[in-house]
Amino acid sequence: MTNHETPAVELRAAARTFGSGERSVTALDRVDARFEPGTFTAVMGPSGSGKSTLLHCAAGLDRVTSGEVIIDGVPLGGLSERALTRLRRSRVGFVFQSFNLVPALTAAQNVALPLRLAGRRPQRGEVATMLAEVGLDGREGHRPPELSGGQQQRVAIARALVSRPAVLFADEPTGALDAASGAGVLRLLRAAVDRHRQTIVMVTHDPVAAATADRVVFLADGRVVGELPGMVGAERIALHTARLEAVTR
Amino acid sequence: MSAAWAMVRHRFASFAGTFVAVFLGVAVVAGSATLYLSSRPQAPARYDQAPVLVTPPDPGTGDDRDRRAWTAEEAAGLAARLGAVPGVAAAVPDPWFYVQRVEAGRPAGDPQAALVDGHAWSSAVLGGYRLTSGRAPAAPGEVALGGTAAGPATPGAAAPGKTSPDKTTQSMTTTDDQTAGGTTPGKTAPGKTTPSRTTPSRTTADDRVSSGATSGKAAPGGATAGGTATAGKTGAGTTIEVLTSAGPETWTVTGTVDGPGFYLADEEARKRASGVHVIGMTVTGDVPRVAGDARTVIGAEGVVRSGAERDALEPVSVTRIRWLGAQLLIALVMLGTFATVFVVASTCALSAAQRRRELGLLRAVGATPGQVRRLMYAETTLIAVFAGLIGAPAGAAAAPLLAEPMVRFGLEPAGFTVTRQPVALAGAVLLGLVVALFGVTAAARRASRIPPLDALREAAVDPRPMTPVRWVAGVLGAAAGGALLAGMSSFPLESQVTVGLGAAMLLLTAAALLSPVLIGPLVRAVAGPWRGTATGMLVREGTLTGVRRVASTAAPVLATVGLTMLLAGMVATIEVAAGFDETAKYPEANVLVPDGTPGLSTAAVTAQGAEPALTTRLLLTHGDVTTGGSATGGGDGLVLDRLTAAQLQAEAGDTVTVRFVDGAVTALPVSRIGDEVGLPRELVRQHDPDALTSIVVLEDPAVPVIGARALPVHDFVMEEVEEEGRLVDLFLLALIGLTAGYTAIAVGNTLLMATAARRTEFRALRLAGAGTGQVLRVVSAEALLAVATGAVLGGLVAVVSLAGVRAAVENEIGRDIALVVPWGTAAVVTGVCVVLAVLSTAVPVLRRAG
Repeated sequence: MTNHETPAVELRAAARTFGSGERSVTALDRVDARFEPGTFTAVMGPSGSGKSTLLHCAAGLDRVTSGEVIIDGVPLGGLSERALTRLRRSRVGFVFQSFNLVPALTAAQNVALPLRLAGRRPQRGEVATMLAEVGLDGREGHRPPELSGGQQQRVAIARALVSRPAVLFADEPTGALDAASGAGVLRLLRAAVDRHRQTIVMVTHDPVAAATADRVVFLADGRVVGELPGMVGAERIALHTARLEAVTR
Repeated sequence: MSAAWAMVRHRFASFAGTFVAVFLGVAVVAGSATLYLSSRPQAPARYDQAPVLVTPPDPGTGDDRDRRAWTAEEAAGLAARLGAVPGVAAAVPDPWFYVQRVEAGRPAGDPQAALVDGHAWSSAVLGGYRLTSGRAPAAPGEVALGGTAAGPATPGAAAPGKTSPDKTTQSMTTTDDQTAGGTTPGKTAPGKTTPSRTTPSRTTADDRVSSGATSGKAAPGGATAGGTATAGKTGAGTTIEVLTSAGPETWTVTGTVDGPGFYLADEEARKRASGVHVIGMTVTGDVPRVAGDARTVIGAEGVVRSGAERDALEPVSVTRIRWLGAQLLIALVMLGTFATVFVVASTCALSAAQRRRELGLLRAVGATPGQVRRLMYAETTLIAVFAGLIGAPAGAAAAPLLAEPMVRFGLEPAGFTVTRQPVALAGAVLLGLVVALFGVTAAARRASRIPPLDALREAAVDPRPMTPVRWVAGVLGAAAGGALLAGMSSFPLESQVTVGLGAAMLLLTAAALLSPVLIGPLVRAVAGPWRGTATGMLVREGTLTGVRRVASTAAPVLATVGLTMLLAGMVATIEVAAGFDETAKYPEANVLVPDGTPGLSTAAVTAQGAEPALTTRLLLTHGDVTTGGSATGGGDGLVLDRLTAAQLQAEAGDTVTVRFVDGAVTALPVSRIGDEVGLPRELVRQHDPDALTSIVVLEDPAVPVIGARALPVHDFVMEEVEEEGRLVDLFLLALIGLTAGYTAIAVGNTLLMATAARRTEFRALRLAGAGTGQVLRVVSAEALLAVATGAVLGGLVAVVSLAGVRAAVENEIGRDIALVVPWGTAAVVTGVCVVLAVLSTAVPVLRRAG
């Protein structure tokens, strides 16, 4: 690993608790993690292990209770809501399980949205190129309801990547898709890493999806409990997950 | 902005509430403002050919009734000097006096307009009126009769309820053949011997025909003089019955005139008029230059008016009618604006809550809170401008339809026409925009604080129904409204109703803001008995987790019930108080009062064996102080009341300069200081020959006379109260109609919005095995809960405000009065809300099912 580079995202003793007092729940328990530029990391773990919370905190969508989150060298701790939004807009991309496109806007408008929100007029062809890259050339004018699930997720990926973010977070990106569409989406993500050195952090519970990543981080009870290289294959990852779930249970 | 446009285009349904609210608000404001601006004071039509008018100087007492007059001699002198100004064709004094036509034994036409219907023949030239037949009057008892140029008299322009049905028709109708309506007065054969009285049954058709034929000339002000319109078939040589301040008279018609009014020989008119108030000039030269020269000639002896300044000469009776109409229009604009803010605020809050996920998503992909806020403002701007651009012309288009009813109900002078008012339209659109933006402020602020993570949550459970801001604003509103009510008696009487309305608006807003607090307990209490059933459980949990939604749907009900109850109750309370107040003044006796006339003639009073109690206005000067006031004829010297005496610093024995309404000035010693200003009756009669008596208390049975009727004091008072009550009822009907209609639309609309947005929820319910009937029961029960919340809170606000109004009125008249709560109105309004609510929730559900 290339340690001398600034990590795209770094968590230092990051903790997140919900509620207070007796009934408080610790979702993240002082997690340390580094995500290097140009790497593809999958985060796995049983339900309630805190993987979604890790993702939200690392992406700046949620704030940690204690500890620190640093995105592309910028600590999020002291940032105002406005500054945080701006940082997210320029350095972070996000792909959701349920696509979350704005139904009122066309595919092209959805992709251009982060640029426009940043006050920038998309350059000629910029959006079209992005859509072509995810295999959707010619669909610029379609609105989300006119696209299939897989196509909607591709639009979402194009939207996440259009601002060339330092890191792309994906929350179960294939969860709502059939196997074939899911595989297509994963190929897209892999290509972004290989061709453009895009950093990706992806939460998933699908061992096949995890196997596309460079490394797989396992979470249980809000703590990192293990790590495997992605190339070991889906079967070994599945085995590891099963063992973890058995232990937690 | 492009994102806002896309949002609006895509989700127009969720903006429909704002759209409808702004559309209605702008339409109401545009229509009212158009009517208001169309109703400008206008110089009487009988000065149409006199571009320069001269009036006596303002005595500076600050009271319009003190407009002093010149004596006939003074006027003649001034007219001679003005006539010599280059470019002046003629300078003519216009003395006027009370004349009213008697038809079928009853005074005809508008009593107030009749006060200025008698003129000197020479003044006809000021209106460009000419003889159409016969000759000019020359001797006493001769009259040139006008009345063809004016529109038909309208009973509404008169004191309604008292005027006899309109029997006045146009002289143009020579036969029953309707084509005669198009004939000109000139074709009315002079001297044709036909019966001079009209039959009442002919009026409608004649009115329509004649108003159509003369609409070009029937200007406001001038048209009211049409009250004198003469009966058909009156040509030169016939005689007519009239009523003047002296009593009934019979005049010989020497000719007919193509303008309204009664024209007497100049000398005769001069004797009857109480001074001269206007000298009119017909002009051949340049009007501004002539006016300038006239100013130089007349100096401080008069005020020269040209152009728009002439409009100040509108008769007081016409101005008062306009004022009444303006009150209604102002109230309409006020309520319309309030209802718009209220409805926009509640629908925007609702739609922001419904779009929580969408807005959270925008935040997640990089929208700052400011951008979300601006997006909401941009959307609202688009909607408001769009709604305004449709609403303003709609309001303007509706305004002319209201002109006729307003004239009929005595809220605008006869001949009132609606003109184009681009300023009103632009203002209404702008107001709609500002009001809509104001309404969306709270929702936009709240929406901008939505955390981006909300995009990832599936079902939106209402977080924190009460925010600190809501608490603070609600409590402050309640406190301010309460304080206004408590301090109401310290406001002047005439503004108390407005203050009460303002307080109620504050309380209504406060109740809407605080309603989420009440919804929880109310739901638990109401749904308690049905806890075990599925419907009970669903309604209970559905409303408890969607408190803000219920609050939004309850808000319009709150406004509807609250405002209608308050308006109805306020009027009822004041009516009760007014009734008490008036009877207290009069003893058990009969009174003689005017019947279709502006006052009692001398003959009518003396016929009863009584002395006319003439009232006139005086201008009194002592030292360098001048004051004006009413004075009653009677006694044998000048009597001053204490206030006037103090103002003038005069005591008994001092000599005071008295200027009478006819312009004559004398010095009189003050004989004593008494309760009211008085002076010998002969002096009043001499200097105010046109004075009328307003009321006579009878000791013996009344002798029947024309233009008067006798009735018990109590009945008279009740009539006066009813008269006022009729106007108030009319106002009330208009205001309640507006408010109820407006908010009822909002009730339906918000519920429709709320239900339509819950389709997924209903689908889940159906999948879980609920039949359409069960879903329907659940949503209806929820809608009823919202209506109940609104009705309870609205009723509460209304009762509290009414108690405040009652306290103020009690304080004013120093007597306990009953609190009138219009339960009937409340029940009807709530019932309408229930029907609307059930319909607008059931429709989306049924449409899904079908």
